[in-house]
Amino acid sequence: MNADITVDAKGLSCPMPIVKAKKAMDSLKSGQVMEVETTDKGSVNDFQGWVKQTNNEMLKMEEENGVYRFYVKKS
Amino acid sequence: MAIGVISAKELHARINSGAEVFILDVRNPEDFNDWKIEGKNLKSVNIPYFDFLEEDDSVYQNLPKNTEIIVVCAKGGSAQMVAEMLDERGYHVSYLGEGMKEWSRFYHPVTILTDQELQLIQVNRLAKGCLSYLVMSNGEALVVDPGRHVEEYLELAKREKVQIKHILDTHLHADHISGGHELATKTGATYYISSSEMQDADTPFEPLEKHPNIQFGSVNAKIMAVPTPGHTPGSVSVLVNDKFFLSGDTIFVGGLGRPDLGGKAREWAQSLYDTVFKTIAGLSDDVLVLPTHFADISEINANGYVGATLGKIRQSNEIMRTSNREKFTEKVTGAAGATPPNYEEIVNINRGIVEVDVEKATELEIGPNRCAVHHT
Repeated sequence: MNADITVDAKGLSCPMPIVKAKKAMDSLKSGQVMEVETTDKGSVNDFQGWVKQTNNEMLKMEEENGVYRFYVKKS
Repeated sequence: MAIGVISAKELHARINSGAEVFILDVRNPEDFNDWKIEGKNLKSVNIPYFDFLEEDDSVYQNLPKNTEIIVVCAKGGSAQMVAEMLDERGYHVSYLGEGMKEWSRFYHPVTILTDQELQLIQVNRLAKGCLSYLVMSNGEALVVDPGRHVEEYLELAKREKVQIKHILDTHLHADHISGGHELATKTGATYYISSSEMQDADTPFEPLEKHPNIQFGSVNAKIMAVPTPGHTPGSVSVLVNDKFFLSGDTIFVGGLGRPDLGGKAREWAQSLYDTVFKTIAGLSDDVLVLPTHFADISEINANGYVGATLGKIRQSNEIMRTSNREKFTEKVTGAAGATPPNYEEIVNINRGIVEVDVEKATELEIGPNRCAVHHT
């Protein structure tokens, strides 16, 4: 999946992955896609909650070797 | 103003004192609804930390200006961030240092009995609804159902000037990781559990079925293992001096153990029936039942511990009076609800088949207790 911006939040613990993602999201235009990579397990529920709360769209979530990857489309 | 960092112990002391406590829990709603800090006179509000990142002042509207706000999250990081934001806006604020992770490993000892021959302490792991016991006599102690933070028991033993000689798990736990084996290794005590609980286990243990009585101390502190199957097939309860019934996961203050965690719910329900109407039927109403779990803080009595006389439990739980076998079976198998998270993995750890590090152990134990059946 192509992303307009990629956020590397691997190794960071809560709340930093979402703080970084929020900054990146603010720089995007409507319809653009952000990719975020995290390693914090707690970020899985948090990203879903955050995306829902901010009325954006979670396009895809995947996990590979302990790295969680989220694709979020800006509304 | 300075932001205070509060420890789980301090937070508990405040809740326990009956003072009003206001908690702002900043985890996501799903995690909050699943598991949270509870207490008398405690008000908690859930606003996820990411809501505070939006420049929207309405998020602050339900927060009190004149009360101290204690911010709580999973591990402490988000709570600190939100506490700083609130502080900048002039709120009186502190946060729980390591969040629910710290709350989960907080143990609170309560003395139930102190007489010359026998001392009894209940150790309450509030976040998990897990209870364990120190039974002490003449400088020696038996520990029943210890949690994995064994330093709690080592410290208590030191404080009470007793040597831990015997350690017993009433059954193979499915909701939390046992500290039994580790505590035995550190103290040189004997670790007992029923053989039928430990099939294919790598953890060394002394088969409990070979010890119908465990005697210790120079005084006659009589400890008797009373087989009480039902929750798991090798569950036992411990009857101390014919007065204190350490019931494991078989009988709770608010009901009975769930028989469904082995895939044989109906079969195990029969054993549970026999336990209630045969094994335990002979125990008098004034025997004090001290379980391994509680499901709700309302089960903590006026003396600060979880326990009730058998008479009171018989009176307040309809299931204890449901002597029709078929109706009984229907009730206990029908009401179990969600299974404890990760229980299959936890069972394997407690058998010594799987080993995990502290971080993984913490993660596996996230969430409340789900061993008691609510059907009163």
